[in-house]
Amino acid sequence: MNRDEVKTILLLYRPGTTDAGDPEIAAALALAKQDPELTRWLVEHCARQEALRTGFRQITAPAGLKEQIISEQAAQEKIISWRQNAILAAAAVVVVVLVVLTPLWFQHRGKEETLAIYRSRMAGIALRGPYLMDLATNNPAAIRAYLAQKQAPSDYVLPAPLEKTAVTGCAIEGWQGAKVSMICFRTGKPLPPGQQSDLWLFVIDRFTVKNAPPTGSRQFVQVNKLMIVTWTQGDKLYVLGMEGDEQTLQQYL
Amino acid sequence: MAEGVDFESLVACYYEPLYQFAFSLARDESDACDLTQQTFCIWAAKGHQLRDASKVKTWLFTTLHREFLGTRRKQTRFPHIDLEYAAAELPVVPPPTTNRLDAGQALEALARLDEIYQAPVALFYLQDCSYNEIAEILDVPLGTVKSRLTRGLGRLHQLLTGTAPGAQPQPPNL
Repeated sequence: MNRDEVKTILLLYRPGTTDAGDPEIAAALALAKQDPELTRWLVEHCARQEALRTGFRQITAPAGLKEQIISEQAAQEKIISWRQNAILAAAAVVVVVLVVLTPLWFQHRGKEETLAIYRSRMAGIALRGPYLMDLATNNPAAIRAYLAQKQAPSDYVLPAPLEKTAVTGCAIEGWQGAKVSMICFRTGKPLPPGQQSDLWLFVIDRFTVKNAPPTGSRQFVQVNKLMIVTWTQGDKLYVLGMEGDEQTLQQYL
Repeated sequence: MAEGVDFESLVACYYEPLYQFAFSLARDESDACDLTQQTFCIWAAKGHQLRDASKVKTWLFTTLHREFLGTRRKQTRFPHIDLEYAAAELPVVPPPTTNRLDAGQALEALARLDEIYQAPVALFYLQDCSYNEIAEILDVPLGTVKSRLTRGLGRLHQLLTGTAPGAQPQPPNL
């Protein structure tokens, strides 16, 4: 190792640090101590290193930087904490609203999906005519027999006025896998050409339709052109509809 | 995990050396403050991911250096002027003062080094970082650090004394 190589290696030497533990620097230091010229150079070099080190370390941070960093971080944490609390509060409100509204919504949906839809569907069947009845007859007993044979509701109980109204036939419809007996009547009013009936009764097992009205109560509701009345009796749900108003429909109950 | 490191203690311990490093790189007080603050801000957000608490110092310096490089990349307001061409505009550091340097003179000399040598030289003098630590902070191999330091320090001494400290170092393998 010549002098220039020793000087180059010792450029990386900082007195008072662990640099002297580096094998290459340790070897260069050993050589420098044996050579008067290198020893002199090393003394100057160490002084220069120390001067540079001191010079760089005179850089001082502005007063208040530490406090500024700490206070801004604290403020940031407050903002984050506030946001987290706000998010948590919002989430809690959403959960509470869901917990409160979900049963109501399902209740509402339950009604919609059962009685209201059933009525609407049956009204649609009545209004879609002219249609073919499964059995066209003016014999009430024949209608019951036919429905019984087809395992559709046949043991229905008719209000006295309806019992006296002329029948024109029947058909069997379906609702969520259950059979619906449709009994067609004619009130005696003039009918449009092709139409055979103007009063329709739908009978279904009451437990097939959720939220059926309680026994003894009658619900009148307008569905499209039809005035419809719904009631339950025994294990049957009855839906009777015709074009007209509630008063007209009452005559058949 | 470094989760247990108290933020205030960490700031008290490292804000000064981080600021010194930032100032030696940016040479602007407000930029150096921003870099220091940003480093602690990143620590507050991501420091918990550091598994080895003994690496906190290295992590902070690495983060500050990356932030500085990121800032420099985004900086378009000031065009880069090669120091070779700008040398005439820089203040001259007279050779006789090398044994009594102040921060301004040291930084002026540092500024005249090629950019690639500035960070290792600053860490070398400011923090007494070991070569391994400098390599870790700058994310370069140990050999590259030694090479850059040799060349950077040689150039620095040359600038301050007007003479080469020894034989001119061979171009490093960067």
